[in-house]
Amino acid sequence: MANATVYLKCERNVEVQSEDVFLSDMAALRCMDSVISAKLKALKVHHFGSGDARRCVISSLHLVKLMEETCPGISVQIVGEPDVLVERVDVDRHKGWQQWAKCALVCLVSFFGTAFTIMAYHNDVGINDVFTEIYRMVMDREPQGLNTLEVSYSLGLAAGIILFFNHVGGRRLTKDPTPIEVAMRNYEEDVDKALISTAGREGKEVE
Amino acid sequence: MMRNFFLILIGGSYGLLAAAGVFTVLAAVGLVPRFAGKTHTAEYVTIYEEMVIFGTLTGCVLSVFSRYCQFHAWWQQRCPQYVNLLDGAGTAFQAVFGLFAGMFVGCLALAIAEMLDSIPILTRRISFRHGLGLAIISMAAGKICGSLLYFLTELHRTV
Repeated sequence: MANATVYLKCERNVEVQSEDVFLSDMAALRCMDSVISAKLKALKVHHFGSGDARRCVISSLHLVKLMEETCPGISVQIVGEPDVLVERVDVDRHKGWQQWAKCALVCLVSFFGTAFTIMAYHNDVGINDVFTEIYRMVMDREPQGLNTLEVSYSLGLAAGIILFFNHVGGRRLTKDPTPIEVAMRNYEEDVDKALISTAGREGKEVE
Repeated sequence: MMRNFFLILIGGSYGLLAAAGVFTVLAAVGLVPRFAGKTHTAEYVTIYEEMVIFGTLTGCVLSVFSRYCQFHAWWQQRCPQYVNLLDGAGTAFQAVFGLFAGMFVGCLALAIAEMLDSIPILTRRISFRHGLGLAIISMAAGKICGSLLYFLTELHRTV
């Protein structure tokens, strides 16, 4: 049993629903000895009291300390994140009418906001003047009614947006993530990093 | 025929490039991810993207083909007896459009300011630690005053 090596791979951000946080919630373990592995996975790492903050940052060194206390003589290798952000969430956070209301709000803001933005952009560049000018240049007469240039511009705009966002009507063109999905992941990562370093500065990290 | 083909080429390529330009700015500013992050609705990001797409297309049609989008005149010709109803609907639509477009533009303005790191740099230069919330409220108040003043004095007519 002595001198078994345990590999510890922590996640950066974990959400738990219960009051107690176990090691298996926040990290993946790898150990040749299945007894040690089972024992460590059931290790209680943190307890959220009713009055406590719903969020805490736990250093992986703290985990190593607890693991060594539980199974003396093991050697722990950390291969994942050095700090783990643990958040306690309510069970019903991901459903319910509030979720739908928020979703509807963001949809409305995105829809009207971008409609307004593109109209303001067209207004800024004076698109109708530009189109009239180009039409006169090419066709040598005043534009009347719906003209080719405007229709092809709108089709080009639609094609550009669909190419850029990589999907239309819920169907993807290629398997790559869309730009907003990429930006979403980057944003989440930045928030996690900021929370972890704030906790480190304020000395609230569990070490 | 040749001339029409030329027009199609110009219009199509301008449309493609304008879309790329406008959306690169939107994606770089990262507004939609932030909305999704704030409301904890990251799983609906695809719906938000669809809304961004359809919003832009609607705006494009409304501003490029504005002479075909005169709904009020069209309705007045068809059924003149319901014009009051239409006025109410028009006011309601203006309120909805204005509110949500204003929220979006407000977020966009501050997001761009933040992307240039103006707030962190300023706080570091004059080294203030507290009252950031107050500064942000003042910023919002300033924006309201500026916007109201702009429309009240019809500043846009002076340009």
